[in-house]
Amino acid sequence: MMTSFGWKRKAGEKVSKSVLQEFEANAKKAEDEGPSQDDEVDWMHAIKRRREVLLEDCAAKSKRLIDEGSLLAEEGRHWEAINKWDEAIQLTPDNPLLYEMKSQVLTILQEVFPAVKAAEMAVKYRPLWWEGWQTLGRAQLNLGEVDLAVRSFQVAIHLCPSERSLWEDDLTWAWKLQKQQLAVKEKIQEEEDTKNQIINAPELEQDYDFESDEVVAACMAVAERQARYEELKRTTVVIDTEGNITNMTSREEESEQTATPSKEQFIKARGL
Amino acid sequence: MSTQYSILFKQEHAHDDAIWTAAWGKSEADGSETIVTGSLDDMVKVWKWSDEKLELQWTLEGHQLGVVSVDISHNGAIAASSSLDAHIRLWDLESGKQIKSMDAGPVDAWTVAFSPDSKYIATGSHLGKVNIFGVESGKKEFSLDTRGKFILSIAYSPDGKYLASGAIDGIINIFDIATGKLLHTLEGHAMPIRSLTFSPDSQLLVTASDDGYIKIYDVQHANLAGTLSGHGSWVLNVAFSPDDTHFVSSSSDKSVKVWDASSRACINTFFDHQDQVWSVKYNSTGSKIISAGDDRAIHIYDCPM
Repeated sequence: MMTSFGWKRKAGEKVSKSVLQEFEANAKKAEDEGPSQDDEVDWMHAIKRRREVLLEDCAAKSKRLIDEGSLLAEEGRHWEAINKWDEAIQLTPDNPLLYEMKSQVLTILQEVFPAVKAAEMAVKYRPLWWEGWQTLGRAQLNLGEVDLAVRSFQVAIHLCPSERSLWEDDLTWAWKLQKQQLAVKEKIQEEEDTKNQIINAPELEQDYDFESDEVVAACMAVAERQARYEELKRTTVVIDTEGNITNMTSREEESEQTATPSKEQFIKARGL
Repeated sequence: MSTQYSILFKQEHAHDDAIWTAAWGKSEADGSETIVTGSLDDMVKVWKWSDEKLELQWTLEGHQLGVVSVDISHNGAIAASSSLDAHIRLWDLESGKQIKSMDAGPVDAWTVAFSPDSKYIATGSHLGKVNIFGVESGKKEFSLDTRGKFILSIAYSPDGKYLASGAIDGIINIFDIATGKLLHTLEGHAMPIRSLTFSPDSQLLVTASDDGYIKIYDVQHANLAGTLSGHGSWVLNVAFSPDDTHFVSSSSDKSVKVWDASSRACINTFFDHQDQVWSVKYNSTGSKIISAGDDRAIHIYDCPM
């Protein structure tokens, strides 16, 4: 009955029905026993015991809600599962498992930001749990936070380096995305820098004798830079299906006019 | 000379992210003391320890992912670092330049350890092989097979006779280096062994595990000589003192503990870190201890001599 729902860890799968029933029976017994013990005269102990019973009660109720939520998640009733788990979080707010499962289901629901928040709680309460970091990394990747995802996957690997999926799927993929992002960023930066140099050309900062060759040389430099800028604008970072990064210049727009400085651009440059 | 254990120096924000590894070396050439740290921020940093303070000497860029392990050659001239980017890099500590970059293959660069003659670097692999690289050649020269699981920790015995490896499933293997033969397989722990270290006289092997215990083995007979408890969580690193009588351990319980090797008692606990302590080492005389961890801080402690 728990086969339809294919997430990576099925929280409820290790809890058999009999265990669950025993749990509920115990919880009930605790409830029944609770008040009768209050009749004892030893109030200090009675209060202490009552608190213990209450805590036990919370844990048992939370466990039941976790299992109910897991069953709902298995059936694809994701929001209902989250509601159950939110109830459980009220009872046992420091259970990392709850946040981690919630994060996975929020990811399925494309609730990317709440998914990250939930996973952050999971690693906060259990920082040595590699699966919590893996879930956090995956949630961060869905949010587009590639750098953070790469970090989370590294922390997960550092805790459990023998887990092949972390290397082969998670880190490899996130790291590739990070490199691609970096390539695009660098390209935009280069384009920006070239553009700025056209506007504030260093060659035009000094005073020139108008008749000199220096003016022509300066104009040549500016025009060449402009040509470089045009070329950069036509270049796009292309990421192929295998994730390789190459810089491509679009062919159609390529013309001799932009490749060599034109007369018009000379005039433009002088006009500065 | 200090008569009691105390914290001597703190370098806060030594890296931009968690510090995973540290090493303490001494230069044969000028006697200066060098500390090397590696971090999740991809950097290897070289620090000089002089006048009871740390001074940043080099920030070594090159690794593209977190630095898992560092070690310093015994003459104090070269540092080795391994990273999640699958590369082992060798650095000239004098000039701060990279000497070599070796591609260990994916998932095959974890703990790095210089051999006692500093001619080789050993590292564990995910298939249970100990790969040994030549410092001069920059190539894998031979490998020892444990036929086991992912090797997390590696140590050479100071006399150059043995090499011990600790695996993720808790198995310890001890090899005879001269013959390359597997001498002993010890089922010491049921959980990952993140660190192991020989005593300076090569008689004892101390292991640290996620099970929270430290174990001491008599190397020659492969007998368990003691099991030590005290840490409240994973034991992440152990290092033996050059005085042959003490060793130090660090844990994800945020503490650093000093132990007496003969009585097997914890004689001091430092609780100065804010987070997991991934690395702990002695200096060459045993008068100082360095620790570093997730709180990005480097601590130096004074030890009574």
